[in-house]
Amino acid sequence: MATSATRSEVAPRSTPRRRQFSVTPYLFILPHLVLFTLYLGYPFFYGLYISLFQFDYLRPERTLFVGVQNYLSLFTPGSVEYQTFWNALGNTLEFVLYSVPLLVVLPLGLAVLLNTKLPGRNIFRAIYFAPWVLSVSVVGLLWWWIFQSQGGLINYYLDALNLPEPRWLSSLPWAWVAIVVATIWWTVGFNMIILLAALQDIPGHLYEAGAIDGATGWQMFWRITLPLLRPILLFIVVISIIASFNLFGQPYIMTGGNPQTPSGGGGTEAVMMRIYDEGFRRSRQGSAAAMSFVVATLMIIVSYANFRLLRQREE
Amino acid sequence: MRSLLRQCTLLMLVVFLGVTAAACGTQQGAATDGQGTSGTATGGTDGQGTSGTATGGTSAVAGLPAECSNVQLEYWNPFSGPDGPFMGELAERFGAETGVQVAMTSINNNNPPGGYYTRLATSQASNLLPDVAIIHADQVATQAFRNVIRPMDDLVSEMGIDGGDFPEAVWNAGEVAGSRYAIPLDIHPMTMFYNQEALQQAGLSGPPTNAEEFEQAAQTATNDETFGFMLTTGFPIQQIFQQMLHQFGGSEFNEDGTEATWNSEAGVQALQWMKNAQEQYGEPNLEVDAELNAFRSGGVGMIWNGIWQTADMTGEGVEFQSGATAVPQIGPQPAVWAGSHQLALPAQSNPDPCKEAAAALFIRYLIDNSVEWARAGQIPASNNVRASEEFLAIEPQAAIAPSVESAFFPPSVPGITDAFLPMAEAVGAVMSGNAPDIQAALDDSVARANQILEQNRQNFGEAPSQ
Repeated sequence: MATSATRSEVAPRSTPRRRQFSVTPYLFILPHLVLFTLYLGYPFFYGLYISLFQFDYLRPERTLFVGVQNYLSLFTPGSVEYQTFWNALGNTLEFVLYSVPLLVVLPLGLAVLLNTKLPGRNIFRAIYFAPWVLSVSVVGLLWWWIFQSQGGLINYYLDALNLPEPRWLSSLPWAWVAIVVATIWWTVGFNMIILLAALQDIPGHLYEAGAIDGATGWQMFWRITLPLLRPILLFIVVISIIASFNLFGQPYIMTGGNPQTPSGGGGTEAVMMRIYDEGFRRSRQGSAAAMSFVVATLMIIVSYANFRLLRQREE
Repeated sequence: MRSLLRQCTLLMLVVFLGVTAAACGTQQGAATDGQGTSGTATGGTDGQGTSGTATGGTSAVAGLPAECSNVQLEYWNPFSGPDGPFMGELAERFGAETGVQVAMTSINNNNPPGGYYTRLATSQASNLLPDVAIIHADQVATQAFRNVIRPMDDLVSEMGIDGGDFPEAVWNAGEVAGSRYAIPLDIHPMTMFYNQEALQQAGLSGPPTNAEEFEQAAQTATNDETFGFMLTTGFPIQQIFQQMLHQFGGSEFNEDGTEATWNSEAGVQALQWMKNAQEQYGEPNLEVDAELNAFRSGGVGMIWNGIWQTADMTGEGVEFQSGATAVPQIGPQPAVWAGSHQLALPAQSNPDPCKEAAAALFIRYLIDNSVEWARAGQIPASNNVRASEEFLAIEPQAAIAPSVESAFFPPSVPGITDAFLPMAEAVGAVMSGNAPDIQAALDDSVARANQILEQNRQNFGEAPSQ
């Protein structure tokens, strides 16, 4: 009601309309703004603030201003933080490299398949999407039991086929295979649904025109489907990268960060696990906040690069 | 598009309902422990009403100040496993006998690791701490310095608890910077589980107790069908390393806990022994808990793990004859790794004197009746209880019990568990074949641990603030 009133008032004076201040749009974003400020804005700046301190929320009396020391130790070779933090960040980047291509290509394939007039396709859609609603602890435990070495499903069958039985959860590179497989099984459905929705938005007459011109299915996929999906695909790439950067629960439950490396830190320890340990098990929330900001900066750079890419392709 | 969205929403709803139903199921299951106690809290009052000990609910409890009535205690512990109901029953009995009702909450500390302490810490921050809490021995100093628990020197003499009734090491673990913060309830040592059939085939009448017997048993039990002895690359290999380190005459830290010392000759010997054992009797690169699963399927002769695995590894937990006993002494010194649950008073901002007195009664009651707690698979910390006939009748706990006299505990220094992280990394790296040079791996981890100890000194200071 308020909207229509404002609009009718504003409508006659059409040229200066853009300049005139209207409270309406701000009211619309207010609910989200409040939540955003409370749960993202304030914690962000508070985190930046405590990253400059030796800080433990239970011992305010021991709070000590240390300037950029928390950041400096992350960049001082030989310090405990340096070794374990960069090891964990390296692991996380490795995971991003393994998982993101698969999290784009597999859902695309599934979406194209399930967009055809397949008998029982709704059942398949449900099957592929279902794991996404599970919690990470369920997914982690499930796959732990499948990959474990003493009679786990996979090694049981490998044994029956007289094939070598890798130690999926405690040796490299197999531990990454296990974590990537679990992650894909868990999240492939979400990306698939988004792509499926986008596929259904592609007008059918484009394919009809293609068919009349004698294009094969493969040509239609490359010339019609893929170009029209590009914005959505790039969106999928961006959110998959961010989600993979936030890797935590799968290695936490499946490998515990193992196997350990002699120089400190586990071979599958993700950077979020390191930050959690620093903040909650070692009670050094200042140092943990500094680590978070280094990771956040990296993620901002990567996301910015992605959005640049997105914009260029759209032009 | 719209129908697709509708399908998905519907599907999500269905699955969520399913998950919620499952979660509700487990919650109800888990709640039986908690509600067992709170449920009996009301049941107890009914009982009192009928038996007539309480008239109008203002009963004076023996041992409590006269003005205290209707005292209720909140009691938190990490016993979220099968041990929870045993503790719940004890708390219930205390309620029935004294009229002080205890509401017990068990919080899982393994998943996520340290979850129990995170919960305590956040409760401290929001002033919602319970009246009594279990604290692990290696956490007492950290929790004292983080203002989660408070000193109780006065109460200890009031309770009539004597330090001489406990093994020295476990009693000392409850003391921080000269003040008493916790009373040991139990000791849970590293335990050897053995497959009776595998040992019999090896020609042994009983489980090995020394290095020669152990080697003989492990050697003969290593054949086409079974492994003799299994070490993984995860928990509890760090604890086994500590145990072997002490057995070879070493120690993790110097006496005041300011320096890590596990790169000593004893440390190299200990880790070399483990590596050899893994190569000769087991297999490399096993994930955490693989030895437990292998043991249960009958594929391994002997394993070492915490005493809390007894129910799963013996009796009805397995389909063959198996036993649990004290770990053998491999090195020249007797030593066994152990943890200890200790009873402490959380640092509430305004402690209620009535609740404090009731908490003291409750702690004394739990120590005196810890033979009941032993049935949950623990060894009572009190020497008197361990010597009692009632306890000596409980097997295999009684067979394992003598080993706790050589149990060792880390120095009572805040953040000491952090300093163990590099040790776990070094031991894990060696056992998973990622670090061929044992001395170098240990030296490296000691250097990192010393940095952590130095950071902790800066971080925590000399003494708790209260």
